[in-house]
Amino acid sequence: MNTDIQLTDWREQALQFEQQINQTVIGLQPAVRNIILAVFTRGHVLLEGNVGVGKTTLLRAVAQGLGGDYQRIEGTIDLMPADLIYYTYLNSEGRPCVDPGPLLKHGDTLATFFFNEINRARPQVHALLLRAMAERSINAFNRDYHFPHIQVFADRNRVEKEETFELPAAAKDRFMMEINIDMPGSDTVLDELMFNPRFHDTDQLIRGVANSGIYYQLNELAQTLQQRIQTSPKLHAYALSLWKATHQPQQYGVQLSDVDMPQLLMAGASPRGMSYLIRAAKTRAWLEHREHVLPEDLQALFPVCMTHRLFLNPMVAYRKEQLLPELIQGILNQVAAP
Amino acid sequence: MRILLIMVLSLLGCSGSIDEPVSYFNVETPRPFGYVNGDEIPQRIVIETRSGITLQTGSLPAKGQINRWLNLNQVTVKQSGQRYQIDLLYQVFYAPLEVKTLTLPGFTLQLSQGEKSISQNVPAWTFTLSPLRELVVRQTEQGEYLRPDSPPPLLANTQALYGLTASLSIAALIASYLCYLYGCFPNRLRRTVFKRALRKLAGLSKADMEQALTLVHHALNSLNGQPLFANRLSDFYRRNPEYLQINSQLAWFFNYSNRYFFSDGMIVVAQDLQQLKDLCQQCRNIERGSR
Repeated sequence: MNTDIQLTDWREQALQFEQQINQTVIGLQPAVRNIILAVFTRGHVLLEGNVGVGKTTLLRAVAQGLGGDYQRIEGTIDLMPADLIYYTYLNSEGRPCVDPGPLLKHGDTLATFFFNEINRARPQVHALLLRAMAERSINAFNRDYHFPHIQVFADRNRVEKEETFELPAAAKDRFMMEINIDMPGSDTVLDELMFNPRFHDTDQLIRGVANSGIYYQLNELAQTLQQRIQTSPKLHAYALSLWKATHQPQQYGVQLSDVDMPQLLMAGASPRGMSYLIRAAKTRAWLEHREHVLPEDLQALFPVCMTHRLFLNPMVAYRKEQLLPELIQGILNQVAAP
Repeated sequence: MRILLIMVLSLLGCSGSIDEPVSYFNVETPRPFGYVNGDEIPQRIVIETRSGITLQTGSLPAKGQINRWLNLNQVTVKQSGQRYQIDLLYQVFYAPLEVKTLTLPGFTLQLSQGEKSISQNVPAWTFTLSPLRELVVRQTEQGEYLRPDSPPPLLANTQALYGLTASLSIAALIASYLCYLYGCFPNRLRRTVFKRALRKLAGLSKADMEQALTLVHHALNSLNGQPLFANRLSDFYRRNPEYLQINSQLAWFFNYSNRYFFSDGMIVVAQDLQQLKDLCQQCRNIERGSR
């Protein structure tokens, strides 16, 4: 009973937090909801979108609202893994010094790690990040550093492809969600963004977000929440069907135009991906005031959790922008529950 | 003395026949009358020669036109030993105004023995040809009297027609069965979705709630063409506006099904099943267009 009250209190806080972010970054409600879900599920997030649509602002607002130690780094082509771990300089006395880099600076209290333009960094950096994301630890100076609270937010813009490195499948799979940030559709919102001086100074806007200081309790909350929210055998069956459908969509009657369906996919969803999906679905059920997961939770999260985990055959990969959303929608349209 | 004379004479007789180069020659011809324009006349020449004597086939008349009214259509030579059988097939193209005597011309067959050449005459053959037209030429208003040929009789084809009809109907049956298997009659099937569901629901009791709910789900899914979930009801109503009138019942159904399938501790009462049957009946009424 105590846990129930606790969860209800937390839900109020989470919804309040969501509302606050929505007031700071307007017109991105679905993306904000997904980020909130990822935060409360303790999953890493990759944002993708055009230039200047508010990806960075959104992430900064979230980091500010959550509290906790925050670090960011910009992805560049000459960034090396060592740059994340330490930096060397000559101090005012002219002596060489070695100081911890962005990853190690806050030690085990590092909370939000924001990797801007991740696809501009080299694969070596991706590899280091992989370990930090999956195991929440890295090895440096002959010892392991643990980051029990780390949550990685990364973003990449989809306009430029030059001088970028495509994220390897393994790196993509470690992100719980890939969220697309699109231009807000409503004219009122666009007008507001253009003319309201509140949105002109981003720093001031971010400072306006109240620091809730809830960050370091999130791990415990997420654990309680995952144990508390129930899933029924029918839901298990539904999730299993969805999973199988990401491997062999043709067996579930999914048909895309101009595609030889058995040849479409190189790899379907991974077990880790499905586990992330279920965890996020539980958090969604919690936010929707439910104690059990419904198929609609899985359906709402399926696109953001799965799109970056499906790998198309190289023959059709050039059409992935069109085919992947169609495939995801096709799977959701064809798999029935119960 | 008399006996001696008889012997000499008979020997002389034998020696005469042995000396003949052609031991047998016969021209076999058909009746020499009753021919009309365009008729074919066969002629067979059978000739047997002494050994060492061969027939010069070049001496046979050449295939083709013999004269203005006579064609040689076919020349066949069959040889077995020293016996030759020559078949000639003539065709007459002569339109006489009255019965007329005509002659197939004779020719000379050449036989050779070494460098020696022997001739054998094939005699000319006379026959009569009758006119095709009537004796007195009739005139009508249109000019000369002409009657069209009777049309050729049709071949009996009732058997074939029966066969065709039978195979076509079997093919149509198979095609429609195949269409049924491929789901080409969705409209027909969609119009009876709830009829079938109702029939199956009738036999279910409170204990079979899972089956009952699944049945209604399947019925709604097949009506919708894809799985229907509570959050897609608005799309469903846009495509099937007639179901909007039972909006609240459908919302109850999805809510109930979600609680039944996805949460614990649900107690089923008989009233729920009745409500489900009522919902299905209402859907059936809409399906029949009576609501």
